[in-house]
Amino acid sequence: MLSRWVTVAYLAYLALPIALLFTGSFGDLWLNTLLPTGFTFRWYQEVAADPSFRRAFSASLSVALATSAACLAIGLPLAYAVYRTPNPKVRAAARVLYQLPVALPPLVLAFGFILVFSSDTLPWLGSIWLLIAGHIVLCLPYFLQTVVADMQRLGLRALEDAAESLGSSGPQRFLHIVVPALRHSMLSGLIVVTALSIGEFQFSNLVSGFLNRTYPVVLLQAFYGATGFACAATVILLLLALVASFSAAYSARGAARTSMAGS
Amino acid sequence: MSDTPSVRIANTSFSYPGGKAGIFDLSLDIAPGELVVCIGPSGCGKTTLLKLIAGFLPCASGHVLLDGEDVTGVAVRERQCGIVFQSYALFPHMRVWENVAYPLRVRDVPLAERRRRAEAMLEMVGLSGYGERLPAALSGGQQQRVALARALVFDPRVLLLDEPLSALDAATRLSMRDEIRRIQKQQNIASLLITHDQDEALSLADRIAILREGRLIQVAPPKEMYDKPADAFVAGFIGRANLLDGTVASPDTVDTPIGRIATPGHELPNGAAVRLLVRPEKIVPVTGDPASAPPGENHFAAKVIHDRFFGASREIELAVGEGVVKIDTATREDISCVHIPRDAVQFLPVT
Repeated sequence: MLSRWVTVAYLAYLALPIALLFTGSFGDLWLNTLLPTGFTFRWYQEVAADPSFRRAFSASLSVALATSAACLAIGLPLAYAVYRTPNPKVRAAARVLYQLPVALPPLVLAFGFILVFSSDTLPWLGSIWLLIAGHIVLCLPYFLQTVVADMQRLGLRALEDAAESLGSSGPQRFLHIVVPALRHSMLSGLIVVTALSIGEFQFSNLVSGFLNRTYPVVLLQAFYGATGFACAATVILLLLALVASFSAAYSARGAARTSMAGS
Repeated sequence: MSDTPSVRIANTSFSYPGGKAGIFDLSLDIAPGELVVCIGPSGCGKTTLLKLIAGFLPCASGHVLLDGEDVTGVAVRERQCGIVFQSYALFPHMRVWENVAYPLRVRDVPLAERRRRAEAMLEMVGLSGYGERLPAALSGGQQQRVALARALVFDPRVLLLDEPLSALDAATRLSMRDEIRRIQKQQNIASLLITHDQDEALSLADRIAILREGRLIQVAPPKEMYDKPADAFVAGFIGRANLLDGTVASPDTVDTPIGRIATPGHELPNGAAVRLLVRPEKIVPVTGDPASAPPGENHFAAKVIHDRFFGASREIELAVGEGVVKIDTATREDISCVHIPRDAVQFLPVT
């Protein structure tokens, strides 16, 4: 009985801010009252018309998609290497190493980037590629963790040994066994990566150049203005994160399907 | 060509880096259609042996020949060994028929034919109608059958089974044991089955190969292995055994902890140390009042220590003299005395 009440209370606690944001984004006027008064689409129209928000929207989307693609391209071979390392000590060390960025505050990474890339030898601060590089460092651990855990759960090594004994070559094993067997974990890993990248603020706020500020960075400005405008902009971020995550997930699944169908 | 063994392991050695474990100068032949069961305690090298044949491990010295062809340096995928893994290793994302057809897919067999051959193989292992399911929807025994079908569908040179029954529950294990034997005979394929279960070895094998610390101790058909074990280790590992250490008292008696035993004639000098083997089922329990029974040769007064009842039989441990004797018997009555027939006593080498 108690556990049910705790669950309900926690869910309400989770949902309430989001519900308030939704309400506020359609409210005409919201001053010193519990709930806003009036109904309007004005705030969404204003956000949509704002050039800095439009730019930030596409910047966030590009950064998130590039980060996802890079995590897939780097993460899968890396996860495979960690999983197949025969020495358990090396494997444990590798795991600590790739989990390190989780413990590292993004702020620290940002300072490091600023120090290195504001120099005359590497004057790349403000470029979108640097932003993507930072997001990869921050997001890759989550992808690796998911995929390595799945490799262990499946016993991928035995599956590959079986395939090899049945006459399957290295590339065939990769396309027929590794990719399709791991498709679910790669999918959920990519969803996490995309959502994290879209919502990332600490690092992006310091490292992104003025012309490729990401959506959360620009969003902060909105809170100095009208409440309804800020709410609408936040709801858009929420939707953006959802859409980007699912599109990443679907494209990954499509890729896995294609590799399964080919023989 | 019929005398060419399907598998020949010739003076093969392999040792794991650092440790003492491995395989040392091992030679073993498997004839066409023969099922050899390799048994031994854990760490004896039986799985290593399988990996050497399959090619997952390289031979440090010696050779592996399949159908007379030296495959020592040949890659795993070129060797054509059908392997049933302990975990089955079915591909979780492929349907049952796709699993079975996979070896044909990588051999570029056309789709229609590989589907037909997979279905035929599934029927052979008793799983027709299960082709469209995913492996996760099958029971352990059914997954085992799929693994067998997949390992056989491409007509491999040899079938290697790595503890195939260890993941199954007791009832399924018994029926799958018979199934494996039936399928192996029907396909008439040379097979090596790895196990640590002596019942499995005795009931399945054409020949048993017993391994200890990387060395082959004895290779023999089950009955011979049981009746004429090479040493005390084999006697204790295959079946239950009473092992009695003693010294020779006369050309046909030996002094042991349970008393002086009359044995078949031997040539050993008086005072020589010997080790005797008596199988528990060969010892005759004597029931009733010991005082009324006439004392005969090799009759010993006995006191029950442990009595395990299994329905059809009892396994009893008895204190006899200063030793302990295990017997297997069907009698339900109290036991006061045991009789060890003279020809039930065997001499084993002292180690």
